[in-house]
Amino acid sequence: PSHSPKKLPRGFHEKASSHKTQRLVSVCQMFFLDYYCDMFDYVISRRQRTRKVLEYLSQQKALKHIDNDILNSEWSGYVYKEHEILRKRRLKPKHKDFE
Amino acid sequence: MSFLQNFHLSPGQTIRSTRGFKWNTTANHADTPLSPQKDRPLSNVPINGNVENSWSTPTKTPRYAQQPPSGPDGLAALQESRTHQIPQLGSDGNVTDFNYTPSHQQPFLQPTEGTTVTSHQDLKHIVEMTLGSEGVLNQAVKLPRGENENEWLAVHCVDFYNQINMLYGTITEFCSPQSCPRMIATNEYEYLWAFQKGQPPVAVSAPKYVECLMRWCQDQFDDETIFPAKTSGQFPSNFISKYVVQMLRRLFRVYAHMYCHHFNEILELNLQTVLNTSFRHFCLFAQEFGLLKPADFGPLLELVIELRDR
Ligand SMILES: [Zn+2]
Repeated sequence: PSHSPKKLPRGFHEKASSHKTQRLVSVCQMFFLDYYCDMFDYVISRRQRTRKVLEYLSQQKALKHIDNDILNSEWSGYVYKEHEILRKRRLKPKHKDFE
Repeated sequence: MSFLQNFHLSPGQTIRSTRGFKWNTTANHADTPLSPQKDRPLSNVPINGNVENSWSTPTKTPRYAQQPPSGPDGLAALQESRTHQIPQLGSDGNVTDFNYTPSHQQPFLQPTEGTTVTSHQDLKHIVEMTLGSEGVLNQAVKLPRGENENEWLAVHCVDFYNQINMLYGTITEFCSPQSCPRMIATNEYEYLWAFQKGQPPVAVSAPKYVECLMRWCQDQFDDETIFPAKTSGQFPSNFISKYVVQMLRRLFRVYAHMYCHHFNEILELNLQTVLNTSFRHFCLFAQEFGLLKPADFGPLLELVIELRDR
């Protein structure tokens, strides 16, 4: 069913209905669904981790009066770990030269 | 929108190609200074005691409202100036199918839903329902607390590269050297490719341009001095201004070509949702970090404004 009001190149419908094109289209849609699920999952999980760390650190500060330097270095250690995880996400093998 | 009114073409209208607006890909006016972007040292992020407040549910207020990349007047002025660049319908007999009009594409943009994602509940469902919802993507582009800005931008360069590769890969059958002998976006913009440093850039077909562009991106990703892979590897000091901006500026051109010359096919293939989502994500990201100027959006400027203002 076409909602598209304009012209299409000659032979479009044959190509569009071909098995190859249909497969490419569904692979593309799956790719985006996977990508956004994974990306939101990462963003949300990371926020939750960060929230827990910050809660822990402010508790430590309030209850035990632990030195700021120590808390800051704990925070830095956490941030560094997150940084490594993020870099690995960039390097993980992805769909390259798709076809 | 005066530009829109002056430049109204009915969908699928054929107009004649006239003067080629040549986009010089080697010119390094490309590397304009950005708003201050310093590396955030990993160790010096202060702990903010106000945990709840800083991690509460994302607001729906678009950041853009307070911090447009160059001011609303800048956009308006650019729109005005663009009205003078409309090609005169000419006589070289080169008929080009011109299927980009904002009014044509508007009905196919997703309506905005104010959904925000705050938990894992029904994530897949939410993604399906709100792909393209600005509220969600708006939040997702923000730099995570404590993260190094270069790393965040690098991950997104790779992500957008992959998305564009996937989108364009799906329509390669419809974008051939015969259908698209020049890498254009509307008849106003043509993007040239310089095969060698110092050589003048030349006109190539759209598939050739995309092929060269994707290989060029790959080469950058593989260069350890630009995109470090080792944990200890550092980004170059001019990483954002020299590499990120340049790459996004070029990747944008593939969106521009797809919107301007293959949107009808994309609609027929029912890929408009993923294309719009991807492009909106790209725009929100560029906006969040002040990476692209209105002029970089050339042929899609009205679409960008439409996406931003909805
Ligand atoms: Zn094409």
